[in-house]
Amino acid sequence: MSSPACKVLLIEDEKQIRRFVRMALEEEGCTVAEADTLARGLIEAGVCKPDLLILDLGLPDGNGISLISDLRSWSDVPILILSARSQENDKIDALDAGADDYLTKPFNVGELRARVRALLRRRHRHGDEATPVIEFGDVRIDLSRRLVLRANEPVHLTKIEYRLLATLLGQPGKVLTQRNLLREIWGPSYIESSHYLRVYVGHLRQKLEDDPTQPQHFLTETGVGYRFQP
Amino acid sequence: MKSQGTSGSLSLKSYRSWQRALLTLAACVGTTLLATPLLDILDLANIVMLFLLTVLVIAVTLGKSAAVWASVLSVLLFDIFFVPPRFSLAVNNIQYLVTFAVMLLTGLITGQLAANLKQKAQEALVREAQTQALYQLSRQLAGALTLTQVSEMLSIFIAGQFSAMADILVIGRTDSGLSPVGEPAQVKIEPHLARIALDSGQLVRSDELGQMGYASLYLPLRASMRIRGVLAIAFNGPASDLETAQQSLFEAVASLVAVAVERLHYVEVAQTTELSMLSERLRSSILSALSHDLRTPLTALVGLADSLTLSKPALPLPAMETAQAMHEQASRLAGMVANLLDMARLNAGEVTLRREWQPLEEVAGASIKLLGNALAGHPVQVRLPADLPLLEFDAVLIERVLCNLLENAAKYAPAGQPIKLTASVVAPLAEISVRDHGPGFPVGKRDELFNMFVRGETGTGKPGTGLGLAICRAIVEAHGGQIRADDAPGGGACVTFSLPLGTPPIIDEEQP
Repeated sequence: MSSPACKVLLIEDEKQIRRFVRMALEEEGCTVAEADTLARGLIEAGVCKPDLLILDLGLPDGNGISLISDLRSWSDVPILILSARSQENDKIDALDAGADDYLTKPFNVGELRARVRALLRRRHRHGDEATPVIEFGDVRIDLSRRLVLRANEPVHLTKIEYRLLATLLGQPGKVLTQRNLLREIWGPSYIESSHYLRVYVGHLRQKLEDDPTQPQHFLTETGVGYRFQP
Repeated sequence: MKSQGTSGSLSLKSYRSWQRALLTLAACVGTTLLATPLLDILDLANIVMLFLLTVLVIAVTLGKSAAVWASVLSVLLFDIFFVPPRFSLAVNNIQYLVTFAVMLLTGLITGQLAANLKQKAQEALVREAQTQALYQLSRQLAGALTLTQVSEMLSIFIAGQFSAMADILVIGRTDSGLSPVGEPAQVKIEPHLARIALDSGQLVRSDELGQMGYASLYLPLRASMRIRGVLAIAFNGPASDLETAQQSLFEAVASLVAVAVERLHYVEVAQTTELSMLSERLRSSILSALSHDLRTPLTALVGLADSLTLSKPALPLPAMETAQAMHEQASRLAGMVANLLDMARLNAGEVTLRREWQPLEEVAGASIKLLGNALAGHPVQVRLPADLPLLEFDAVLIERVLCNLLENAAKYAPAGQPIKLTASVVAPLAEISVRDHGPGFPVGKRDELFNMFVRGETGTGKPGTGLGLAICRAIVEAHGGQIRADDAPGGGACVTFSLPLGTPPIIDEEQP
């Protein structure tokens, strides 16, 4: 459970969807503000300064990506996208514009609450000193010493593998788009060379996952990008 | 055929040959009568001139044969009535024989020349009229909107100019057979000759068939892109005296018609394209509207039913079960709607593949993760060869294929039995198989399984729409692969799909 009275702004045009999302959020102990258009949403965001924004991509007055860009110019509030399955490009654009995570409609309440919890947790940890040591499974990574241990045995990573690992670890739980990762690690000229990214993620899985074919930590968001799940 | 000969001598035609002979005779006798009183004034040489003038006039007005007549007649009359001794054929001075000979020759030559000139002028007139008519025809054809109109304009032209009948045969849109434009066909057509004209691109002519009432002339309609059909012409009489000049005229007509036919063909192509674009746009806007309109209430339904099961305090047991069932059914409905919309989108050709080179392993892992609880009780064993190259595919769509196949396997196989996902390279393809230990596919129904709305076993109580495998097939085929169902050795069902191997991109080695 997150700290008392987290404020969540929900921008969604369908009343019944707002209703059950609000119920789920209130179960999490959040207070919820609602808006049914992008225009109202942007005003509400300025007024109530939410700790989390949940945004439907298919609103009647626009697809929400412009709102994300606007918002990102003055706020780093976590943004959770609600979108339809056939809208891969919209999801990618939204994530590239600065959204943190997405849920595909229809979704379960449990799934929604898990995502919301993760985003709020990250928001609250944000102010703290980032810890140089990260642990998951039987892997322990000390970023300050560039040391990767698996079952207490050192694991050798190439430079690019290590850079990729560090980038993924830097934003746990957040979906990082292919474009984003390629630009970050290989540079702008590699944005279309997605096979590099895929091959190197494969290397990381080989070296750090128990079953590389069914990874638990370096997750694929098919058609969108990757997510590190501690 | 007699068209040009007759029309070419239209003014001569107004006199019959005996009338012409009579006129010639009258003119020569008239000249004699006119010249007799002048005998004392004029030299004989000048009287010869008068006769030559007569021959010239006759040649111009009455033609070649009359000119010959007039020449001979003039020499005789001159000899009898003017050359001494008069009123006899005999001559005193042998020199007159030279005069006669020169007179006859000059008469004949000038007569011929004049008559030829006249005929040429006549022909030029006819040609001009024909050119005018051709020009008219081409102007009309330029405005024609249908093939029937083209055919009508052509018929009127051919009937007016040559008193013949014509029909256009065009290549059908679907098959390569020739069919007449006019219904019913005006002209009896020999299909073999038409075919020869079409295939060879040459004029084909058969006078024997013309005698029997068939079209005797078949001209290919050669347009800029290809030969578009055949122009068939039937003459009322025999076509034996068809001249080269006329043949080229018909060829000109044929090329005019060909241009018109080609233009109409492209008009039609453009219209069909526009129509299909319109209907395509309509379909896709209906699809997206439908998918939004269906998904929104379904999302609400799934979410509301789910929150009911999670509400606090917890519902009493029967109500809880109802809420859970509602949630389950709503989720299933959402899955089916998603399948239907996917199928519709794939069928509409609306899906553009986002093909990228990637390891199969990744998409396999993502599929298993995505299915989550649906695979509960069925451990999935992924066995991919270590040297499996990168493959080029649309990850979202192939994930869909794998999800459908794994879900099917989990649905039909008994709980606890593993599902195997394997791959192998069978150049030039990579084959990927999903195998279960269930009852296998019903015999004789295997190929049908990939059709829409076909389900393996009806009445087994397993939920589904029969769309899953059809979607798989559509996706795999869009990638240039194939999908098939087998019985696995040792029992169970096995679905195998293939993807082309292609040439994977080279990954630069990292600097150590």
